[in-house]
Amino acid sequence: MNATKKVFWFVLIFTFIHTSISFLSILFNFSLRDFDNVNILTELFPSAKINQKSIHPELIKDSINVNKVIEQKANFDFSLYKKAKLITNFRTNDSAPSSLPNLMKSLHEIKNGKKRKIRIAYFGDSMIEGDLLTQTLRKLMQKEFGGSGVGFLPLDCVSADFRITARTKNSGWDEYNFKKTNKDLYPSGHVFYSDHGDFTAVNNDVQNPLSIEKSLICGKVMNDNVIFFNNQPINIKSESLVNRIKLSNDDNKTINLKIKDNSIPVYGVSFESESGVIIDNFSYRGISGIELSKIETTLLESLAKNNPYDLIVFQYGVNLLFRPNDVNFNYYERAFNNVLNKFTNAFPNSEFLLISTADRAFRYNGEYKSAIGIDSLVKTQATLAYESGIAFYNQFESMGGKNSIVEWVNQSPSLAGRDYVHPNAKGAEFLANYFFEALMNDYKKYCSKLSK
Amino acid sequence: MPIFDLNKLIQQLVYDPKNPLLFNQGFFVYFFFLFIALYYIFRNKVVIRKYIFVFFSLYFFYKASGYFVGLVIISAIIDYILSNAIFRQTKKSSKTVLLILSVIFNLGLLFFFKYTNFFIELTNNLSGSNYNLLHLILPIGISFYTFENLSYTLDVYRGEFEPVKKFSDYLLFLSFFPKLVMGPIVRAHDFIPQINKPYQLNDEDFMKGFYLIITGLFKKLIISDYITLNYVNIVFDDPSMHTGLENLVAVYAYAVVIYCDFSGYSDIAIGIARWMGFNIPTNFLSPYQSSNITEFWRRWHISLSSWLKDYLYIPLGGNRQSTFFTFLFSLLFFAGIFLGGHVLFNLNYLVSSIIAGIVLFVFILPAIILKQRKQVGTNLNLLVTMLLGGFWHGANWNFIIWGALHGVGLAVHKVWNLLTGKFMPQTRQRNIFKIINVIITFNFVCFCWIFFKAKNFNDAITVIHQITTNFKSEVWPSFFSNYKSILYMMGLAMGLHFIPDNFADKVISKIGKKMPLIIYLVILFAFIYLYGYFKSAEQVMPIYLQF
Repeated sequence: MNATKKVFWFVLIFTFIHTSISFLSILFNFSLRDFDNVNILTELFPSAKINQKSIHPELIKDSINVNKVIEQKANFDFSLYKKAKLITNFRTNDSAPSSLPNLMKSLHEIKNGKKRKIRIAYFGDSMIEGDLLTQTLRKLMQKEFGGSGVGFLPLDCVSADFRITARTKNSGWDEYNFKKTNKDLYPSGHVFYSDHGDFTAVNNDVQNPLSIEKSLICGKVMNDNVIFFNNQPINIKSESLVNRIKLSNDDNKTINLKIKDNSIPVYGVSFESESGVIIDNFSYRGISGIELSKIETTLLESLAKNNPYDLIVFQYGVNLLFRPNDVNFNYYERAFNNVLNKFTNAFPNSEFLLISTADRAFRYNGEYKSAIGIDSLVKTQATLAYESGIAFYNQFESMGGKNSIVEWVNQSPSLAGRDYVHPNAKGAEFLANYFFEALMNDYKKYCSKLSK
Repeated sequence: MPIFDLNKLIQQLVYDPKNPLLFNQGFFVYFFFLFIALYYIFRNKVVIRKYIFVFFSLYFFYKASGYFVGLVIISAIIDYILSNAIFRQTKKSSKTVLLILSVIFNLGLLFFFKYTNFFIELTNNLSGSNYNLLHLILPIGISFYTFENLSYTLDVYRGEFEPVKKFSDYLLFLSFFPKLVMGPIVRAHDFIPQINKPYQLNDEDFMKGFYLIITGLFKKLIISDYITLNYVNIVFDDPSMHTGLENLVAVYAYAVVIYCDFSGYSDIAIGIARWMGFNIPTNFLSPYQSSNITEFWRRWHISLSSWLKDYLYIPLGGNRQSTFFTFLFSLLFFAGIFLGGHVLFNLNYLVSSIIAGIVLFVFILPAIILKQRKQVGTNLNLLVTMLLGGFWHGANWNFIIWGALHGVGLAVHKVWNLLTGKFMPQTRQRNIFKIINVIITFNFVCFCWIFFKAKNFNDAITVIHQITTNFKSEVWPSFFSNYKSILYMMGLAMGLHFIPDNFADKVISKIGKKMPLIIYLVILFAFIYLYGYFKSAEQVMPIYLQF
């Protein structure tokens, strides 16, 4: 056979067979497993069922049945959790206009000239690593209500080299964390010990006022002459499990610490102005929040006493969606409920806010789509907030709801990474702005109630 | 009974910006079938056959990039007119004026679409001005066909080539669909004489074409797509989130990906052309087998490097002399090293100038060793070629840095060659020496890829930072168990890469005649099924190895 003929016949036979298989499979609605992905006629027969198989409707149905029925309470509306850009405590409008009344009260006071500090602890996973989200939120809050300083800086963390708002450098420390120990862990998930440790921190992001209070955050100190601040010894003895040791209050941006006693659990330092809003970022990569139960209750109580918070925020969830077909998160509800109980008991004077997962996508049949379990997870998280009586904010809906992460990735410039999980610095800025907007709306509600 | 949707059929026929035509779409199967059928029916009517080819090529262009197809036609018309005018002119000066017109037109087109934003940003940064960026879409294939136009008019100007009489011949040369998106850059004097030849193929041609198409598809659609989607993109998207180990593997994985992607596409193009009776020279020759960087450039993207040699390096003066542009660009380069060291790495002026001095010394050293002054010019011409060649890949400083690294690499290799030739001529012949050289060359090329792939300079530095200061070899067990499939895929690709170059040709010439058609069909369907499998293969989940 002349080879030109061979080309013709080859292409003809190939096209014929391929088309026939594709056509028959559509006509009789049978699946040829992986061949369905290369069916060349599905585009022309959009009504054909082939190719739509990999979403598991029975699973989705299953998960919604499994989620327990929410108890109806008077003046409460559980479905408020679905609203974007709203901080809700599920109360219907008339009974309580603000969802975080104590925080709003304090904000209103400092807005009107009172000198006091408002401290917020913002817990999260890699979504807020490197001070993402919180750096924008902090800037917006400090601009609106005053305050300066980056807040808590852990002695070390994986993203230390990439954090814009602060630089830290350390040497000679033994590090323990959630994965290695239960003892003496700080809410950051870490604890450090050393008999020759050195630590330098620079606060890059200073607003007004310029004068910043610098403190060492550590555990029990039993010996003299073991802590050196800018090479000067500091003597303090304390049995408390959490100590805030004041180092200086000036407009220096850099501090150096040396610690020569490996019985002291060291956590980090804090940069805070004397009044205004301070936001501590507690990020820990890859966790779901359940890990926080490893922190000892006594330590939390000591923290509440010596380093108290007005608001504690939890933002977790993407790490629960680590497999594309997971839809049931009841195990998480039980486990995280324990964490919430532990924290709410230890911090009786703090308000709490649970922020839902952001969108996360997987490839279903070659196409990126929101995880099929995302509705179920958001609902589970809302249930947690509803039943513990704390406030809730729907991050998933706020960023745009279903498939928003796919749009964020594909936008130019993109707002999220191509792991279809992490908003990038620009995306995190958007999230922070949406959240700030929600906070301000709550604040306005509070103010309008006052003026009535 | 599913309903046939006529609207969908019509939609398929028009350009869809979200879904530009590529070889891996169902639509391409019909496009190709119809094309082959008509081409075969009219195989003996050269003119009709040619118009069929032109029509299908322009239609492919349209399906791939919409109305930008007009640019190809316009640039074909202009270059066709200019090249004929150059040929007719007897006076050298008028020829030169016309040539300059052609260069201005083609480079102008390329610059407008590809580099406008880059230079607006540069101006804004340097002068503090605030011009708005133009968000132009880069027309598909423009980097390739403007270069083809340029080489064509230059060849005519140099008197090496008589311009084509028929416009359709030129239009086919420029729009030839197999090479549209990613090359190779075809030379007119290779291609045009083949247009009007009788359509004849032997069994070996058929098999070679099939081999190139199927291996090309395998490299591009299976190896490259799988590793890119499941690993490389994720790490390079935010290198700071990943350990040094993950970053290092991502760099090697990218080396595999860029080769498979680029050479895969070239192979498909060359294979299809072969089936249509056109011989296009090889574009990639197992480049990672190279034992030095000079050899790498003889094996990597050959159509580009030979283009750059003929139309950039030689006009700059080649290995004979240096010109004004040699010194202009070299001066910019050394100023770049000096300022880059100072601004990007916070080095003081002294250290920065010492580094620039050392690099300059490398470029002068061959001249000192050989006691030939013109060696300096040769080396600098090579550097300038690599700088501009790097810039051709994209409007980004990282591509310039990539080109500069290769330019310096070539100069260092030259010095190394002279030194080892002088002091250890025997050792050079030993196999172990060669193997070590292959490893060094591969790693140098990979190092340069960091700049090629990273989104910007900071990301490239982050990759290097993570590899050098945050390696964390202890994460290996969990890394391996999660990314096994990626590593196996990389292993397979590298294994195939190191099969000797002539192995496939030997096999083809041995069994080419005997293979019945049914075997080709079985192989193709097996591939299609495999492709379907990988399309829906469970995604490799990124994990956090660092806590």
